[in-house]
Amino acid sequence: MQKPSKFAVWLSTFLFCFLFWLLLTWSVALREVLWGVVISALVAAFSGRFLIHHEAFYLYNPVRLIMLAVYYVGIFLVEVIKANLSMAKLVLSSKMDYKAGIIRVPGSPEIKSEYGLSLVANSITLTPGTITMDVAEDEKGDNYYYVHWIDVTETDREKAGEVIKGRMERWIGRIWK
Amino acid sequence: MRIVIDILLLVGIFFTAVGVLGVNRMPDVFGRLQASTCIATLGTISVSLAGILYAVSEGMGASAVIKLILILVLVLATNPISNHALCKAAYKMGIKPAKELVIDDYKEDDPE
Repeated sequence: MQKPSKFAVWLSTFLFCFLFWLLLTWSVALREVLWGVVISALVAAFSGRFLIHHEAFYLYNPVRLIMLAVYYVGIFLVEVIKANLSMAKLVLSSKMDYKAGIIRVPGSPEIKSEYGLSLVANSITLTPGTITMDVAEDEKGDNYYYVHWIDVTETDREKAGEVIKGRMERWIGRIWK
Repeated sequence: MRIVIDILLLVGIFFTAVGVLGVNRMPDVFGRLQASTCIATLGTISVSLAGILYAVSEGMGASAVIKLILILVLVLATNPISNHALCKAAYKMGIKPAKELVIDDYKEDDPE
């Protein structure tokens, strides 16, 4: 994967910060917008290299953003509610009987980009009961997530991966390769 | 509308209470981190949804709604990162889980 130029990295971060500023202040008065430009430019100059590593304008694709919103509202919310209910059951039961473990689940071969990997890892962490501890790549280029799982019901790695992130990962694979 | 807002607030408070109770009851660091995720997910989501509905029904305008959405997005974006860092740091420092882990691939493989 080729590295984007410094200017593309700066511009992408600048646009992101500036849009965020506009949404936050919600005014188009000249003074506000000018301050927004100055501050976004400064922030982008300092932090662009941490945010963007390849394909600078990958994020600004309306189809992708709409798919992302559908994913978060439709798929992710359902998974979160299910996991929250089972966590509530565990916490409110009189003797907390659980078997914790750290399991290595294989990532889908489709998802290679850093955006996709971090989105899957964050989705796993956000469902109560599972925390991604690390994402590692082996010499063949396959990705693995090390997941701390509070209630291990499945020690087979493939099946555990299906339980932990099956639906979420299929959807993310459609959005971000 | 009022009833929907109240139900959402109640759901949010319930899951926040579950998270706090879990943080107190869990025996080790990892369990506490897991339980605290409840607060950040369904607790925050339903409370901010209630706020959004309230702002819409009171006619507060778009800026209030957008600020609430941004709060939700920021919490959902930053919580997993800190959780992941805390969990990994606790493991690398050698903190023992309260009960023996059923399976521990991380120790066997030990990346980097």
